[in-house]
Amino acid sequence: MKLQPSQWKALEDMVTQALAESSRSLSKMTTGEIRLDAPHLSFLPLKDLPGVAGGPDAVVTAVYVGIEGELQGHLILLFQPHEARAMVDLLLGHPAGTCRKLDELGRSALAEVGNICGSAFINAIADRSGLEVRPTPPLLVEDMAGAILQTVATDLLLTGDEALVITTAFNGAVPGHFLLMPTTESMARLITTLEAIR
Amino acid sequence: MNGRQMEAVGLGELKVANRPDQVLVCYGLGSCVGLALYDPVVRVGAMVHVVLPESSMGRGREAPPGKYADTGVEAALAALVDAGASRSRLIAKAAGGARMLRLAGSNPRLDIGARNTEAVRAALARHQIKLVAEDMGGTYGRTLQLYIETGRVLVSTVGRGEREL
Repeated sequence: MKLQPSQWKALEDMVTQALAESSRSLSKMTTGEIRLDAPHLSFLPLKDLPGVAGGPDAVVTAVYVGIEGELQGHLILLFQPHEARAMVDLLLGHPAGTCRKLDELGRSALAEVGNICGSAFINAIADRSGLEVRPTPPLLVEDMAGAILQTVATDLLLTGDEALVITTAFNGAVPGHFLLMPTTESMARLITTLEAIR
Repeated sequence: MNGRQMEAVGLGELKVANRPDQVLVCYGLGSCVGLALYDPVVRVGAMVHVVLPESSMGRGREAPPGKYADTGVEAALAALVDAGASRSRLIAKAAGGARMLRLAGSNPRLDIGARNTEAVRAALARHQIKLVAEDMGGTYGRTLQLYIETGRVLVSTVGRGEREL
């Protein structure tokens, strides 16, 4: 999708607001401070999507949140498995390297990150566009990146060819990918609404 | 894997191979279906990475040959015959069609795996090709490999090991 510089700016501002709110909420949930770094936004062809996190057969830990309402889309938080474990240590305030295997507690902590970030994005969208959207409950999946992303890419392929990819890191240390993937109609609607309000 | 050449078959792609050192691979199949077709006499094989069940879903947009089950199977059969294979000798094996995000939301379109599975079976039946082995459904990803030298088909998973189809 070709965006004008002003449209990019509007989108970036929205994402930055969402990440700032995510940081605040995540910090409240934990003992220390969790900060999400300045995001990098790009559009990626859907056929390249399954390769975004180390190749289609690379094992990843993914938190999926669906977006419903006036916009439809998908929000996916992706970690390499060792990054996911580092994230759990960060969330639970444990020394780095404590989490060796993702147990029930670790899984629910990561799912909660999906919940928090999902809500933050939806609030930012509502705040800046006035569109009413809601998140689905988070779902944690550990499997091949291709298998997870393909399912979402398939849904998007019905209407478009690209996904908006947001790359960030937690406290500059734990890299994570955010994939915010509105359907093509929803993306157009979001951009139009953001522009109109500015 | 000494001397073997792994050739990835990406989303919607169709590849034909006839060299014994070639291995066709669909990495990380989720809701997609990987279909392996092989003629054991001339040792020619093809792999299709099916993304969606029917070409009518494309709304007339241009698509790679393997994207849809119906047109993908047809294109693969034509390409195999072109490469010297005989339709009557073809052995078909398939994997994939999982439901990766089973709990998420109520979006029925996300259960495309089951529809892809049905569409691949139906397309093969229409062309009187028997599906001799399959590993479909479930909620996990799969990687499918076809060894051109022997026709061996392997399915590997995360945490569920590897098996021959």
